Parts: sequence; structure tokens; C-alpha cells
Amino acid sequence: MTSSKWITILVTALVGIALGLAYGWVIAPVQYTDVPPNILREDYRADYVLMVAEAYQNEQSPEIAARRLAIFGSETPAQIVTLTLDYATNNNFTQNEILLLQGLLTAMQTYQPQGNDTP
Amino acid sequence: MRRFPINWILFLTLALAAGFGLGLAYSWLISPVTYVNANPALLRADFKDQYRIVIAASYKASHDLARARARLELLSDTDPIGELSAQAQRMTGAGELFEDTQPLAQLASDLQQGVANTAIINTNTPTASVSFVSTPFAAIGITPVRETPLAEETITTEFSEPTVIPTLSFEQTPLAPQQLFFTATPRPTSTSIPAITMPFTLIGQDPVCDIGLSPGLMQFILMDSRRNQAAGIEIIATWSGGEDHFFTGFKPELGDGYADFIMQADTVYSIRVVEGGSFVPNISAPTCTDENGANYLGGLLLTFQQP
Repeated sequence: MTSSKWITILVTALVGIALGLAYGWVIAPVQYTDVPPNILREDYRADYVLMVAEAYQNEQSPEIAARRLAIFGSETPAQIVTLTLDYATNNNFTQNEILLLQGLLTAMQTYQPQGNDTP
Repeated sequence: MRRFPINWILFLTLALAAGFGLGLAYSWLISPVTYVNANPALLRADFKDQYRIVIAASYKASHDLARARARLELLSDTDPIGELSAQAQRMTGAGELFEDTQPLAQLASDLQQGVANTAIINTNTPTASVSFVSTPFAAIGITPVRETPLAEETITTEFSEPTVIPTLSFEQTPLAPQQLFFTATPRPTSTSIPAITMPFTLIGQDPVCDIGLSPGLMQFILMDSRRNQAAGIEIIATWSGGEDHFFTGFKPELGDGYADFIMQADTVYSIRVVEGGSFVPNISAPTCTDENGANYLGGLLLTFQQP
């Protein structure tokens, strides 16, 4: 075959790759189920942390609150609440909700998991 | 000369198919769409369970039934109340503490009745209604699927259809900033409903001879003064060899005020309803006779009601 025909085949293959990518990314992307909480959208994360804060105000158990926040993965509970507090402040959460989050943040900043001897 | 074009078309088709396959493999296996901004409906089952626990714990603190309902809708469960009850039963079966399962059962019961149980109300935590309006994603290249987040959820006292479409928004770019607007919708006021403190009185003690039921099944129905079934009421059965605690409301398909317990033959039980201190001594399983004249261990139905 001549080089022009090879080029034609190559271009056709590239078109096929482009179609495959379009199909796999846009038309029929991988469908995820059973996702972990760390990819929840920011407002859902904030609402979850707010629920933890509401429950904490009633239960006054830092351990339970920390365990509930642990579903977000590698961040510490205090970091999670700090991020949520920033989000709440920037998004017009009510004063009461911010106070709840601040209470939870204080608890998480001073919380020491049982059996942890590190300062 | 005639075969050459056919081969040529074949070459091109193969090249196209191979390219398509490579593209598909890359987009599905090597670099699939990265999901961000997932909604709670897509969470793994155990995380959904945790989500429900936190919703129930939050509800226990705020007694904001509408908000708890809106939050549950985010999980897109077909039957949110049934899921709550089933989870409470699973947790009870797994030996978890009543303190952990009771909020779930209570929330399920309150959702079913449409009224917040204010028996353990906490009036110091007024919360504002939240309406989220999120800006559309600035997706590049991929148009996000329609998504209505907590978004513009008008919290009503009716159980409305979920407004959240359980679809994913996905994009391969960082989160676009979202704007949230909060409207200070007045909270439902704390309607004063008397706490369940009146003693339950035994108003019925009926033998149940049903060969289809478990032998020695003691069934309880607890109702408040308005004849509404009462969930979350602790009952203690004691006998010479031991004691067992159980609660109403863990089998909502049989009624919020339903509980049951298996009696042994030739054992005398005393029943105490913890709420209000009602006490019923000398309870034992009756002997029933089937149509062939054979005896079998029957059951009992005890009905309690608050005056």
C-alpha cells in the first residue's frame, strides 16, 4: 500500500479513538454506585456536618461525633468541621447553625481518641 | 481490481473499530469519568445507614420533622420509613444499644404519624429553614445531568415526592463555587403535646390460638390516650430464670405500638411497661387445641392503653 493509504487508515483509526472517547466519557460514562462520602458535593457535606453538630449539642459526646465525621476519610474531624464552618460562614448559614458548628469544632479540637497517648 | 476496494473498506472499518475500542478502553478503564459532587443517594449502603443514623440523631436534638424528612429524601429510598425501621431492626438484631436504635425507630414513627414527638423536646435549639439554590456546574466538555440538590426544597408538612433526582453530576474539573441562599422560613412552632408519662393500663388479655404463629408468642399493643399506637416504649418480661427487655415500634409493619416476645411452656412471666410503671403478673402461655384434637402452645395478646 502507498503511504497515502496508510495515512488514511491512521486518520480513520484516530476518528475511531475520538468516537470511543466520546462514547465512554459523554454518552455512556462509567456509572458509579456505592460511592464513598468523601465525594459528596460540598453542600451535602456541610449539611451532614451540621447534622453531626446538632446531634452533638444534644448528646455531648465528642467520641460519637468524631466517629460520625470519620466517614469522610483521611481528614481529621477538626479539619472537616473547620472547612464546613468556612463554608457555612461564606454561605449565609444562620447564626445558630454557625454556633452549633463552632461548638462542634471546639469539641473536635480538644478531642483525644481513647488510647491515643500523643499530645 | 474488483477485490481491492472491498479490502480497502475492510481495512478502514477495522481501523475505525480498533480506534473505537481503544478510545472506549481508555475512557472506561484507564481514565474513566471522575465523579465529584455526588449526592447522598449514591452512597454505599453502609454509609447510607450512617447517614440515617445522623439524620435521626439530629432530629432527636431538633425535632424538626420537616427537615429530617427532606434530608431522608436525599437518600432516594423507595420507602424511607420502612428503611428507617428496617435499619433499627438490623441494629437491634446486631446487638446495638437501644440508645442507638431508638432515634431511628422514633423518627420512623413520627414520620408515619406526621407529628414530631415532643416528649423529649429540646426547645433551646431553634433552627432556620434552609433553602439551597446551587448554581449550575461550570462543566467543561461534559454537560452535567440535571441536579436539584437540597435545592429549593420547600419544606412542607406533607410528605412530598423527593425533589432530588438521583443522578450524578460529574465533571472532570474542580468544583464550581456554589451560592447558597437561606431563607428564614419560620420553623414549625413547638406544639405542646403531652409527653408520654401516664401509665399504660392493661385493657385486654386475649389468648391467641393460631397454629400459624410461633408457639408461645406474646404480642403487645400499646396505645396512647388517643388510641394512637405508641412506639419506643420499653417493656420488661421477667420470669424465674431471667429477664428480657424489648421495645415497641421495631416491627412497624405490625404497628408502631407493637412488640412481641416468645414465652416458654410452663413458665410464669411478669410484664412491666417501663413508661408509667404498669405491672402485670402471672402471665403464661395458654394451651390450645387444633382441629385434630392435639394440644399446642398458644399465644397471648396484651393490649395496653394510657387513660
